[in-house]
Amino acid sequence: MNIQQCYALFGGAYDEVLSRMGGSERLVSRFALKYLSDSTYAQLSEAMSAHNDSEAFRAAHTLKGICLNLGFSSLAASSSALTEALRPGHAQASPQELAALMDTVTRDHEQIIAALGQIA
Amino acid sequence: MPESEQRKAASKNHTRYKILIADDSAMNRALLSAMLEDEYDITEVENGAQAVSVLQERASEFALVLLDIVMPEMDGFEVLMYMNKYHWIDDLPVIMISSETAPQFIRRAYEFNANDYISRPFDAAVVQKRVKNTLMLYAKQRRLAGLVADQIFEKKRTSNIMVAILSHIVEFRNGESGLHVLHISAITELLLKRLRFKTDRYPLTDEEIDLISTASALHDIGKISIPSEVLNKPGRLTPEEFAIMKTHSAVGGEMLDQLPIYRDEPLLKYAYQICRWHHERYDGRGYPDGLVGDDIPISAQIVALADVYDALTSDRCYKKAFSHEQSIAMITRGECGTFNPLLLELLQDAADEVREAVSHSSFSAPVRAEVSVVTEKLLEEERLTNPERVARLLSTERTKFQFLSSVTEHIVFMYTSSPSMLALNPRGAARLGIPETTLDPSAKLQPANAQCQSTLDRMLQETRSATPEEPNREFDVDMYVDGQSKPFHCQLRAIYLDGEEPEYVGVVGVLIDKDEA
Repeated sequence: MNIQQCYALFGGAYDEVLSRMGGSERLVSRFALKYLSDSTYAQLSEAMSAHNDSEAFRAAHTLKGICLNLGFSSLAASSSALTEALRPGHAQASPQELAALMDTVTRDHEQIIAALGQIA
Repeated sequence: MPESEQRKAASKNHTRYKILIADDSAMNRALLSAMLEDEYDITEVENGAQAVSVLQERASEFALVLLDIVMPEMDGFEVLMYMNKYHWIDDLPVIMISSETAPQFIRRAYEFNANDYISRPFDAAVVQKRVKNTLMLYAKQRRLAGLVADQIFEKKRTSNIMVAILSHIVEFRNGESGLHVLHISAITELLLKRLRFKTDRYPLTDEEIDLISTASALHDIGKISIPSEVLNKPGRLTPEEFAIMKTHSAVGGEMLDQLPIYRDEPLLKYAYQICRWHHERYDGRGYPDGLVGDDIPISAQIVALADVYDALTSDRCYKKAFSHEQSIAMITRGECGTFNPLLLELLQDAADEVREAVSHSSFSAPVRAEVSVVTEKLLEEERLTNPERVARLLSTERTKFQFLSSVTEHIVFMYTSSPSMLALNPRGAARLGIPETTLDPSAKLQPANAQCQSTLDRMLQETRSATPEEPNREFDVDMYVDGQSKPFHCQLRAIYLDGEEPEYVGVVGVLIDKDEA
């Protein structure tokens, strides 16, 4: 399986990423696989369990940025929703709402990890 | 300017610019690095506090900063605030990179003088192009600022010379020295500036005062039309001759009024007022129009007064020079026409300065004055870039500090006052249980090590009494180290930046464990 087929498994925006990386498949692959060792999701998960909202906001925000750049569309959307729910100074989301948003993030994250795992 | 020379030399020798990337995500830093590392040298930091501490040490090394907004410790906006506060941003452009796309974030970044804003996801080609454009723009802007300054200076100088030549032609024919116009110009400028302090009846900007004193040199151009026999007649003029002589002010005004170009220029407006009305009298008995009081433009009133003073104090074909005191007295007594009482008061108040101005004006004076203005501007700039000089000095000191502190068992520290930062040798940091560098330590040490906090306070207090002549201080203090409170001896030295007035920039010092000593 190549990186393009891998992106297809989790509905990633492969063509867009390829174009942004100057058409280099090698670069796309290198950075997508780097996600396997990225600790942002773990930080987010930890902060959510500890109910540390400011830390969770920052981690969700960072995760969203990474996913936008890597074309991980599903995770970019779910982490963006979580970011907005945690944004300081905005209407407070209920713990249930936050947990539901986090569940979606986790599901999207795990789907990507599983797909990337197949070529790593 | 030596600094721009240095910069030129630097850009010749090192074609590779250095870029600082501040982003809390290793992934994002790696992505940006991958896009830029072929052309630039990259330094990465993980948060705002690290960015500020790197910039504080060596802002002058970098050509550009790529700055994330949401970061732990200190966010991107705070970094921008520091960069503005210490003027790093004057020479160091910043491109914000963020997934915040709300307009208020982008606007805020621009308000804090960020140069550009790139939203995620970013495109390699776009990032490369925008980085390059910003770097080129900055290099170009620096060169242009220099060129513009040179040209303005050159232009002003040329126009001053043209006015001086023109007026000199008029006076040459008149058998005068050419100094007359310079004297009038100097007195006019002086009196107008004093006038502004005395009253707000005649609101004038610096620029208008400048224009009026330049235009004053043209007051007698109408004399070009007066026959030489009349103009240079040594004795008293007959009534017919005097009537001819009197036409010069109206003729001068007409000459300017008929000028086909520059009609709307403020300089021309003032020159017209001055030429036509510099022989009007405040009581309405002057010529050519018999204007009364403040119907006479203030420019013409002032030049008239300056003209009379300089005529009295100079030799003329029809008279000898009067002394300064005699002349002032004659004008005040109303022997040489009627003037605005406010201006007479002004002349008396400023009598000494008027004498000074006249004795110091010479052909090179206006140019010299220009030079001093430009020089002041340059010096001001020098003062503004001072933080850069401080940064360079501290960077050298830091190297020494790092070496010396690595070879000792004692706790060695260095404190810089602006921005406030405390640095420790690794051994010291480990023993005290605080980080090797702490930004804004007076607010941050307390929770980690309360005794450090009080020692820092004590140190700053001791330093306040230090001087460049006596920079050393020592005192005993208890420190909380290795899990217990122990007696220490502190020796420190205040550091000053060389200059006419030495500037306090920080402290270096050592804490010696009394048990080990």
